[in-house]
Amino acid sequence: MEISQLDIKKLAFHSRPIPIPVDYRPLYKIALITLILNFCCREEKSTLLKLHLFSWTLKSEENTQKLFDFINANFTSEFSVWGIEPALNRALQYAVADNICEVINGKYYKLTEKGAVFFQMIKKDKDLFVTEKAILQFIGKNKITDKRIGLMSKKWSKFYAENSSN
Amino acid sequence: MLKIRAIKLEVVTVDGEYGAEYFFDNGLNIIRGNNSTGKSSLFQAILYGLGFEELLGGKNEKTMQSVLKDEVEFPVGAFHKVIQSFVYLEIENRDTVTIKRSIASEARKSQLVDVYFGPLLTENKPLDSKPMYVHDKGGASDEIYGFHSYLASFLEWDLPEVMTTHGNFHKLYLQQIAPAFFVEQKAGWSDFFATTPYYEMRNTRARVVEFLLELDVFENQKLKQQLYTQKQVIGSRWDGLYFQFLQLAYKHGATLKGLEPHPTIITDFKNLFLTVPYEDQTLSLPEFNQILMEEFNKTEKLEPHKVGENVKKNEEELNKLVNRLNKTSLNYELLSSEMNFDLEKLKQYQLQLVAVNDDLKKNKGAFKVTILGAALPTKVANNICPTCQQPIKESLLPHDIEQRPMGIEENISFLEAQQKMLEVYIEGQIQIINEKQRKMENYLNSLSDIRQTIRDHKKELIQDERLPSTLEIQRRLKAKNRIESISRTVEEFSALIEDLKSLTQEFSQILKKEKALPKEFFSDTDKEKLESLKDRFIQLLNIFKYSSSPIKKIHLSPDNYLPEVEKITASNASTFQKIIFDSSASDFIRCIWAFTLSLLDVSLMFKANHPQLLVLDEPKQQDISMRDFKSFLQELSKYETSQILVFASFENLDGSFEEATNGLNFKLKRINPKLIKPTPVS
Repeated sequence: MEISQLDIKKLAFHSRPIPIPVDYRPLYKIALITLILNFCCREEKSTLLKLHLFSWTLKSEENTQKLFDFINANFTSEFSVWGIEPALNRALQYAVADNICEVINGKYYKLTEKGAVFFQMIKKDKDLFVTEKAILQFIGKNKITDKRIGLMSKKWSKFYAENSSN
Repeated sequence: MLKIRAIKLEVVTVDGEYGAEYFFDNGLNIIRGNNSTGKSSLFQAILYGLGFEELLGGKNEKTMQSVLKDEVEFPVGAFHKVIQSFVYLEIENRDTVTIKRSIASEARKSQLVDVYFGPLLTENKPLDSKPMYVHDKGGASDEIYGFHSYLASFLEWDLPEVMTTHGNFHKLYLQQIAPAFFVEQKAGWSDFFATTPYYEMRNTRARVVEFLLELDVFENQKLKQQLYTQKQVIGSRWDGLYFQFLQLAYKHGATLKGLEPHPTIITDFKNLFLTVPYEDQTLSLPEFNQILMEEFNKTEKLEPHKVGENVKKNEEELNKLVNRLNKTSLNYELLSSEMNFDLEKLKQYQLQLVAVNDDLKKNKGAFKVTILGAALPTKVANNICPTCQQPIKESLLPHDIEQRPMGIEENISFLEAQQKMLEVYIEGQIQIINEKQRKMENYLNSLSDIRQTIRDHKKELIQDERLPSTLEIQRRLKAKNRIESISRTVEEFSALIEDLKSLTQEFSQILKKEKALPKEFFSDTDKEKLESLKDRFIQLLNIFKYSSSPIKKIHLSPDNYLPEVEKITASNASTFQKIIFDSSASDFIRCIWAFTLSLLDVSLMFKANHPQLLVLDEPKQQDISMRDFKSFLQELSKYETSQILVFASFENLDGSFEEATNGLNFKLKRINPKLIKPTPVS
């Protein structure tokens, strides 16, 4: 049938809301940030790169396994790049603006008192973030230090350099 | 019937024992105490003793006033730390029992309740007792240890089952009924049954009214529920039978025709049979057996041929067999590659389901966290930018992307729909696979059969030509066995049909009963009761001088039995709206007075389930005049067999008290100067 035969007088398009992955929900991400800062960071403060590492670790079972293997091999095995996601940066901006974290020396993100309250709320709920809590508690505050992050990312730049020369 | 005979509070402080003890009679009891003497503490302690403290908005000891758990002030300015405190509550129905529950105690959890089987407070005798639990899981249903299930049987209340929001059934909780006769001072006067705790049930206020007035609607609903369970039972028996039918079919490579996997009414059982493919047609199993039998009979009488006589025939048959072998194995090959494809598809669906389930879990977590975040509070949780106060999308995607993300709740229901869809896919896929697997097994069986026959033919071709044909003898034996086995199946099949007949009959009975359920749920007595409820309610509104809307326009909602007012809309249609929207604050209090009393009155009139107890904390709310309050007390003072406890301060004035109670028949209990006083050393 020709379109002209259809006798269409008016066409309307409505944009429908689309589902998005939970990783893009602001509060979900902020909650993960408070969990990471509390379970895995001394003095509840961390560099951006380290936050990205743990956020990436929580993203999939595969990633978690990779980090666990690396830890269990006493940091001797090969550990390639981890993802840097803009969503985490945006979540951090919200977290800072909402006074859940603060930026210290322009370098560290630190949990505020309000952030600590939020953390306690999440921690108390036994059904919430069960796997995430277990993973982060296993990693703990002492396994991945800032120094370790430095070493890891140094390898990483070497890895890139080699790749690009090929 | 529930009567509060006595209450005793026992508070042990670092500086000695304190406490209070009150006895109550039938009829109107006025508990008079000035503001902050501990009037409400006493009211709350009664609720606590019955395990109804959820009406105060919490559970266990944290709902109690600090005088009962932290420190006692006596006299003014002197504070004594509480070490331990107990509530004793003596209640009466047919028997009298005494409940003991701790508020502050090192040794006892506040969920623990001791029930003494006798009047511990009015007659101080040693009594047998039993420990029970409130609020623990199963507290309302555990026959032995649940205090509330004990209390329900003590009250001789057969609690009705109510549909929960999850679609299953649960008994109505006592705490849901209590707001009909316990009205708390703060929230209690804000709506009808305002303090009802939420238990994921639908329309509980309506159910409570139905229960208190013992409406037949309940019986009808119960009947409906019974039919529902009976239907479930039929369903599972049907499943079993269906499976047996399938087993019979599989045994002979037959297909079952004319039976649904779910209960149906079958009128003609002739359409229910097993079919088998035979040459180019489909035959029913008995027909097939008939043919086998005829063939067998034809050959049985004859002497078996000699090998030599059969050579030509054997060679022809061998060719045919090889052809069939090729065809069948081709079919098998085709099906097996299809099968691989189907299995792979199933695996994909299952993986997707795992992913969706995982996603769903995370989304629910995110939803919870958002609620927590909103309570913190954070601006982001309310979708407001904390820096610029502009609305933001509920997403971390860059804002210059044109996107309209679903709200998280919508996203959850979206995922739930996906989950359901995948589950349906998986179920269907499994069915397809099973079907194909069965077909493949059939192919395999016939393949090995054909091969065997080919071998036998070949063997015979090289045998001595003078011997009788073993092939023919074998074939006859096999045919005989087969015929016997099929005959047995046919017999079993007709036995199963008999079972099915009785089952389908039961099923149609249930359907008939279901149809017979009255469309109009209210019985004649129900209508009478509801009519009386309305009449009494309106009569009381007049007595209490309700004036916000014309009384003629007031009726009781047919859905939840609560008062409504008729409104004429702009388009001249009449609608009904909740009475609260159309009443002044003080008139709405009058409504609650009237409704609470009319429930009791109608229940008394028809000997229904109301406990014949009203416990009202400070019913003189808003700016209701002493004169109207008096007319309320006057109504209350007319009860003789029921028990009414009214906690009131009378504006802290003797004059007001005189004005409100002058000439009325009641028992006065004073709280003066404080509820909790030193216990006299005995």
